[in-house]
Amino acid sequence: MKRQIPLIIVIGLGLLFVIHTFVPHKISEDFYEWWQTWSKAISPFMVLLGIMSLFMVHSTKIKRKTANWQYSFVTLGGLLITAFVGFMWGTREGTPYMWLFKNIQMPMSATMFSLLAFYIASAAYKAFRARSVEATVLLVAAVIVMLGQVPLGAQISHWIPDTSKWILNVPNLASKRAIGLGVGLGITATSLKILLGIERKYLGGD
Amino acid sequence: MSNNNTRFWDRMQNLDRRYIYIVVALAIIIPLLIPFNSKTYITEPVENLYKKVDSFTDREDRAILMCFMHDASTMPELFPMEVSILRHCFERNIKVFTICFLPTAAPLIDYAINTAKEVGGFDVKSGIDYCNFGYKPYALFLPILLGMGEDIAEAVETDSEGRKVENLEIMKDLKNYNELNLVIDFSASASVQTWITYARVKFGANIGAGITAVMAAENYPFLQTGQLVGMLGGLKGAAEYEKLVDIFASNNVVFSKEIVKETWIPITDKQIPYQFKIARIGMNAQSVAHIMIIVFIILGNIGYFVSRKSKNKELG
Amino acid sequence: MFGTISNIVAAFLTLCIFSFLYKDNPFYKFAESLLVGVSMGYAIPLVYENAFIPYVYRPIFLQNKFLIIIPTLMGVLYIFRFSKNLSWLSRYPIVFGMAIVGMFVPMSLNARVLVQMRSTMLPLDNINTILIFIGVVTILMYFFFSKEHKGTYGKISNVGIWYMMVGFGASFGYTVMARISLLIGRIQFLLGECLGLIK
Repeated sequence: MKRQIPLIIVIGLGLLFVIHTFVPHKISEDFYEWWQTWSKAISPFMVLLGIMSLFMVHSTKIKRKTANWQYSFVTLGGLLITAFVGFMWGTREGTPYMWLFKNIQMPMSATMFSLLAFYIASAAYKAFRARSVEATVLLVAAVIVMLGQVPLGAQISHWIPDTSKWILNVPNLASKRAIGLGVGLGITATSLKILLGIERKYLGGD
Repeated sequence: MSNNNTRFWDRMQNLDRRYIYIVVALAIIIPLLIPFNSKTYITEPVENLYKKVDSFTDREDRAILMCFMHDASTMPELFPMEVSILRHCFERNIKVFTICFLPTAAPLIDYAINTAKEVGGFDVKSGIDYCNFGYKPYALFLPILLGMGEDIAEAVETDSEGRKVENLEIMKDLKNYNELNLVIDFSASASVQTWITYARVKFGANIGAGITAVMAAENYPFLQTGQLVGMLGGLKGAAEYEKLVDIFASNNVVFSKEIVKETWIPITDKQIPYQFKIARIGMNAQSVAHIMIIVFIILGNIGYFVSRKSKNKELG
Repeated sequence: MFGTISNIVAAFLTLCIFSFLYKDNPFYKFAESLLVGVSMGYAIPLVYENAFIPYVYRPIFLQNKFLIIIPTLMGVLYIFRFSKNLSWLSRYPIVFGMAIVGMFVPMSLNARVLVQMRSTMLPLDNINTILIFIGVVTILMYFFFSKEHKGTYGKISNVGIWYMMVGFGASFGYTVMARISLLIGRIQFLLGECLGLIK
């Protein structure tokens, strides 16, 4: 029963949603409004999962004194101080909460991703080899698109941005569309499996 | 001599990656410190999005919605686009709404609006000329997306300042996607496809994308089918839109391909505020960096083939 | 003055993250741990103000819509996700949200499959649309692994490989642009807002 009742809920409500997609009747609209209101009430509690997970992972690290366990204090301290400051002084512009976000979270988050520029340059030098004809085609296409995106490419020759545009609008489009069709069919198939109760991994557990 | 040559390329192949990092850093720093003028060429996806936004000029019964679905990590690419579009709307008296479903995007909306407003000196008021719906939890992305198809005020309920949306002056003549007819999704993920799948299919909303360059190539099929009205791809898309706003919107002129072809806007022009040309300045550094990457690829491959040839000679 | 201190803090943390390029070090580890903690802590008051108050507290306590107590209790069941014996309770709020999958089936089929297929085939009025059609068909043939890629079938699916190589090359070109842009943003911050060298 622990799995059957949730499955019945998914299948029942899911089929009602299929009907709602095609039926514009007021009962269908009222059903959707009811689901929307209840979803809104459930939504705030999802953040509890994240908080609990973080606490469990880092408190275990501290208890067992695993490698770099001292930094778990920094993580938990950051979490508690930021949340406390937000509740205490509000979340508006000009509050300590916003200061923490703008001067700590924002710069670090942006910098983490900017490291990738260095890694891609290093990979371009050390790993991108034209080992086969197909790899050479890949590299040539990449070089043309890279040059076509920057003003310098257009100044070298007008053929570069024109060829880049053709590459993006024809072979790239065909490639992405074919892969996208596969993805779309996959999404549809998985959604249908969930709807019919065949796919149950999202329930987790036994 | 040939042995020396091979040893040189072997040493080059095994170069410490930290030297590569130094070259990358210099390739970005030098063009930023020494700005130079370069031409920005406008592409069709950007042109189409600009024309669509501009078609709402002075209309009380039309508005655009900007959905901020990213965090600070992708700000360098997306923030200049957002500021340009907001500037376009403020210049041309177009009603604009903003919303986000990620907590880290909420301050970015305020930052974008304040930048566009203060740097441009626009006399626009919240609730009248623009409205920030604020942060709504991600779990409500689909419910609100679908709910706006029936009634925006009912789906969103309150704005970022806690005011009831239905009471705002900006909501006069606006009910659902028939009036909020253009949604521009700024994201580093495939969330724009969610807008296409639901808002476009069910309600016929026009969807535009302001997307990082990583995801831009994936959206060309949607551009071709017309499911996407237009697209700003990465820093280049932002630079193109900045140029269009400088030429047309800021001079209250309607878009014309001929004027775009003939107009040259030097980045060193001090009349254009820094925040309104940040993407174009970045494209200079981008040019140098791309040449650097191409040189790295060529050098790496030369070294690889020279080493392989000498190894084959030794073996055979 | 306060602005200068803020910039110094932001610049210091930026350089802590950049220090990883030299090698892993305590500054980087500290910054990384702080980022995780502050990011999570940042979400909590925001969710409380923008979701709990308007959708739970206000309807129940101010508007007397007591029926909302039911989904509220369902939401609280999320906390049992980590319990060995009671984790089955957390399935209820999950399945309530999953129900919208009923809409995914017809809509994703339309937007991602049918419209895309139609545009591939119609109209075949110029060389580019014909090339797109050939590309899509040959790539789909390549991904059909139930048939051995031999003979004519193998040659046709090879054409698909060429198309994919060009497509991946274009993606790589765009990816390089994206990554470099992110670094440009940080350098603009360090040189502009912190050192005042770019105006």
